[in-house]
Amino acid sequence: MLPSLRALAPLLLCAALAAGCRAREDTRSADRLVLRYQPLGPDPAPFRALVAAFERESGVEVEVQALPNAADLAHQLLVTSLGAGGQDVDVFVLDVVWVAELARAGWLADLSDAFPPARVREEFLAGPAGAVVQGGRTFAVPWYVDVGLLYYRKDLVPEPPRTYAALAAAIRAARAEAPGIAGFLWQGRQYEGLSCNFFEALWGHGGAALDGDRLRLDTPAAREALGHLRRLVADGLSPRSVVTAAEEDARRAFQEGRAVFMRNWPYAWPLLQDPASKVRGKVGVAPLPGADGPAPGALGGWQLAVSSRAPAARRAAAIRLVAHLTSPDANAVLAIAYGRNPARHASYEDPRIRAEAPFIAALLPRVEAARARPVTPYYMLAADALQGELSAAVSGLRSPAEALARAQAQADAIAGVER
Amino acid sequence: MSARGERRLGAALVAPAGAALALVALGPLLATAWLSLRHRVPVLGEDRFVGLANYGALAHDARFLGALANTAYFTALAVALELVLALPLALALHHAGRGRGGIRAAVLVPWILPTVVAAKLWALLLQPDLGLLARIWPDGAGAVLTRPRLALHAAIFVDVWKTTPFVALLLLAGLQAIPEDLARAARVDGASALRVFRSITLPLLRPAILLALLFRSLDAFRVFDVVFVLTEGGPGHTTEPLSLYAYRTLLRAGSFGLGAAISLVTFLCVVAIGLAWLSALGERRPAEAP
Repeated sequence: MLPSLRALAPLLLCAALAAGCRAREDTRSADRLVLRYQPLGPDPAPFRALVAAFERESGVEVEVQALPNAADLAHQLLVTSLGAGGQDVDVFVLDVVWVAELARAGWLADLSDAFPPARVREEFLAGPAGAVVQGGRTFAVPWYVDVGLLYYRKDLVPEPPRTYAALAAAIRAARAEAPGIAGFLWQGRQYEGLSCNFFEALWGHGGAALDGDRLRLDTPAAREALGHLRRLVADGLSPRSVVTAAEEDARRAFQEGRAVFMRNWPYAWPLLQDPASKVRGKVGVAPLPGADGPAPGALGGWQLAVSSRAPAARRAAAIRLVAHLTSPDANAVLAIAYGRNPARHASYEDPRIRAEAPFIAALLPRVEAARARPVTPYYMLAADALQGELSAAVSGLRSPAEALARAQAQADAIAGVER
Repeated sequence: MSARGERRLGAALVAPAGAALALVALGPLLATAWLSLRHRVPVLGEDRFVGLANYGALAHDARFLGALANTAYFTALAVALELVLALPLALALHHAGRGRGGIRAAVLVPWILPTVVAAKLWALLLQPDLGLLARIWPDGAGAVLTRPRLALHAAIFVDVWKTTPFVALLLLAGLQAIPEDLARAARVDGASALRVFRSITLPLLRPAILLALLFRSLDAFRVFDVVFVLTEGGPGHTTEPLSLYAYRTLLRAGSFGLGAAISLVTFLCVVAIGLAWLSALGERRPAEAP
């Protein structure tokens, strides 16, 4: 009898451990919140001070947990935790393209009482406001934003190009001055960055990718947009290396002075102005070109949401934390200490930001024009298939028409599951 | 103690290990098999039994068939190259005189590096703008990751670079188990070095070779980290192995049932490969044949 009981010991141990985990979760009191976010920069002190101010005011303790900086991984961790019904997180960050999906899944608390949709639309930039308000209810609050920009070499290009034709002409002209220099760097690696570049090209060709909840990828404008990206590589206006490049690949090559143009996010600016940078003082920023005039940049950035599984006692405190972290003062801290673009219109007039982060203050027209990737619950489900097909077209494996037809079929199969 | 009592004690002693194995291996396997028969997408709130529909979908899924082909190609080429390169390396190590220990340690350096670190190292060297190879040979090896039909070979190269020492070490152990007397006797009989190698060393090394093939092909078929770091499966899924497709389907797209089906197919392939090598290993060696 004894030996068989021993044999069960590992099982019992596991069961005890599992029970222990649950018990610990349930006993977390109402005055202790868990916040999950992506580290903002190398120095945690300004953010800690921001959180500490909330703790002093509210008497609520905040446990700050870091998510990986890779968006896909952060999404995966949140979805597995929320999908399993976990109560281990109260407030967390969301990428713009996740809000619709997680709101539909019922994992985000409705914040409409504390943040009425009308007020969100009024105070925050149109792009993020459109992403967080779903079906007339607020599910998250914009925290900071990101936008696709065109960086250009002021010493080689007199005027930033407004159209694709002007971009090509400027590259040829610059090459006459600096032979062998690469033209336009962007992100063509098989990952979400490529999707951002694709949607920017789509908007630049006057297209749109959403029809109700349905992703529309197989359209004439989309074929033109993807064909345009492919031709950039095939015609040598972009080096072949863009088909494997992510943001940092492009930024490093541009910073080495190897290219005339680069599409990237605002984070690249302070790095390009570093004393060790070879292009310091030679770089300008402009809107991305389009077929007939400037195109909107893709909207990136993060929102704060409250878990619908947080018990009511904690939910009130969680909403206050969200309000604190998205306040105009918090916008200023994030802009000045971490170079994050405020999500509030008014913050771009904030004298503190204008004085200490003038580059950010000057980006207001860009972030106002920024457009969100398709806001649909099916976006993240289809993103993986879309990335693969876009990559296949950009690297010349398939024609844009064929790649988009395949992406459309996969996106429809995912969304059609429940129609 | 009676024989029966002894058997019972033996069973009792083995029971904890058996229970642990059932808990950590059999349990998850059965759970995965059950999951693969369902359509489960937590973010859409979907969870229903669909029988073999997931497997049916895979049979017509170009991306799955591509991933299967990529994985098979990766495994066959990487393991073959590792064996071909490791055999001379093992012979050299076996016959090295002084400083053998030092040489052996040096050879093992790539194997000691965590795969992610080694892959990142090569990703930097192969980076098509600023990588070292791009500076030396910009349109050749330096651009390999940008070429859909070549990029997988970069992953194979990194795997071979990293794992050949391990295979060499396995073969070296096999070589050291061969009695010196056999070779000496053959030489007395006038056999050339080549003849000794072909008729004595190689047949007696067979178990070690098969063992190396077994280990390596099982490992290579589950390849994930090298590809994940080098290309993330791109361009256009041309370097995506089964494990990466399963991971993406499960955790990125959040389609648990389909992801479980891919995982299970991968598992069955690995079992088939393992059984094939094990049965080859179990065959009687020609040297022992009557």
